[in-house]
Amino acid sequence: MNTYVHPEMLVSTQWVFDHLGQPGLRLVEVDVDTQAYQAGHLPGAVGFNWQTQLQDQVTRDILPKPAFEKLMGSAGLTAQDKLVLYGDNNNWFAAYALWLFKIYGHQEVCLMDGGRIKWLKEEDRPMTTQVALAEPTTYVAQDPDLSLRARVGDVLKVLGGGAENLVDVRSPDEFTGRVVAPPGMTETAQRGGHIPGAKSVPWSSAVKEDGTFKPMDELRRIYFVDAGLQPSLPTIAYCRIGERSSHTWFVLTYLLGLEQVRNYDGSWTEYGSMVGLPIERGAGDRVQA
Amino acid sequence: MGHGSRVYDSILQTLPGVDNPTPLVRINRLNPHREFTLYAKLEWMNPFGSVKDRAASYLLRDLVERGVLGGGRGVVEPTSGNTGISMAALAAVLGFRLRAVVPGKVPLEKKVLLRIAGADLDVVNDALCPSPGLGEGSINLALTRARAEPDRYAMPNQYENELNARAHFETTGPEIWRQTEGRITHLFVSLGTCGTATGCGRFLKQQNPAVQVVAVQPDPGHDVPGLRNVEELKVSKLFDPKLLDQILEVDHELAYTRALDLARQEGLLAGPSSGLILEGALRALKEVPAGLGVMIFPDNVFKYVSAMVRHRPDLAEGTAPP
Repeated sequence: MNTYVHPEMLVSTQWVFDHLGQPGLRLVEVDVDTQAYQAGHLPGAVGFNWQTQLQDQVTRDILPKPAFEKLMGSAGLTAQDKLVLYGDNNNWFAAYALWLFKIYGHQEVCLMDGGRIKWLKEEDRPMTTQVALAEPTTYVAQDPDLSLRARVGDVLKVLGGGAENLVDVRSPDEFTGRVVAPPGMTETAQRGGHIPGAKSVPWSSAVKEDGTFKPMDELRRIYFVDAGLQPSLPTIAYCRIGERSSHTWFVLTYLLGLEQVRNYDGSWTEYGSMVGLPIERGAGDRVQA
Repeated sequence: MGHGSRVYDSILQTLPGVDNPTPLVRINRLNPHREFTLYAKLEWMNPFGSVKDRAASYLLRDLVERGVLGGGRGVVEPTSGNTGISMAALAAVLGFRLRAVVPGKVPLEKKVLLRIAGADLDVVNDALCPSPGLGEGSINLALTRARAEPDRYAMPNQYENELNARAHFETTGPEIWRQTEGRITHLFVSLGTCGTATGCGRFLKQQNPAVQVVAVQPDPGHDVPGLRNVEELKVSKLFDPKLLDQILEVDHELAYTRALDLARQEGLLAGPSSGLILEGALRALKEVPAGLGVMIFPDNVFKYVSAMVRHRPDLAEGTAPP
């Protein structure tokens, strides 16, 4: 069968175009900063800055429930809205936001396949600088479902990758430890390498050139055959700061339909800097995709 | 009046062409090959200081002729600097504004020069996590502005607009052909938008199919502004690999070393991309017994002082009083 296990979690740019302005449907743009959104966004979309708005600014942590409710309410969103998330960098930050929405129990939320850039590259797709003044609403979140999230303690229980799949979605040079972080990046770690037992499947293996996700049979081959992930086992995905791994969390959970997939959002900036934690270097198991 | 006396009514009249070519200067000390004559084409002698004056004038002239500009409508363009400087200066003369979208890593000198020339700036954050194949932040932001505010911005799009290559097909290529009296055997270029390589390459091979076009590129992770490493070239629609006989990858540090060599041994105050091309040309020539080569030197070193110091810190040593 070549359809995704949860195809309703993705919509195409054409679908979004056809449904612009539909009541109850809200577009949410999530970028690394607001420059892109301010220059132009999909009509009616609200915009969030992943760095400053979707994370706790004091403690390194996801937004606590009251802050999440307040942010979404001030943007005019309710828990009953059908949300379509999209953003730059092939939806990395939109995927993180989707993960956050799912933690807080939002029922109907999906990604626009290909993100901002695909929309931009298609002729005649409208963009606007207009920001509609949102009428504040009350957003009622569920208590956080932390089964979607892995903490470092969870990772340490499954070192070696026997009891669970451990997926490292960074570039090969980061995985092997040849670089601690890509040149010029400020968020780095004290050591390079990967979590013992992790398989390297760079996040970009899951998408085509235009940023849309690869078809089901290719994804199966990449993750189950080439990388050897066991579909019967739980999975933890990580990267450097937790947003690329949300992208892979999305692929594994909704496209491939794996159960018990967790995003380790502390990722390498946490693991690679903690005293005494074991680190593996070198090729290990690498996938060319 | 005109090219003979070098007296003009407007800076626009000094734009290059077959009757007003940029100089070809022979490399003497740095070329060890006795049977191969190597020239540098000094594109910084153009009115606004770089090879980009050619493409910029063709792109903007076209928009003006089609009535696209004016009435509050200006231009938005992704540019690493030189195209923006050319376009900003041209815009000033022609009577409209340019919004230049520049990657963060471009040197300060170029950003300030854009403002001096009259451009407004968007400076794009370099990627939080590098993402091969995604296309460039500056290109996408410029596209976004043009799409979201079409009554304010037209985007010439140097990465896709064929007029970029046509400028070189109609000026640079014919200049070189005439200046070398048809004897050129090798053209050495670097690739950014690929307009130079494509336009020049096409013209010269039309005159003589045996002319070899050699592209010299920096290694991945380089910081030489304006150039794209081979993997990054996909963003340019003008890239035509069929016209390239060879692509050489050179460690970007050598761009700075060779720029110093050019200044100190040839009196050519050339910029880092020129240094890169020289290194590539000298390597390629090891395999070539005889011929005549032309390297296109895009600009001079004046805009790159801080970059030179970054790569050669010894240049700043002893510059404070004891």
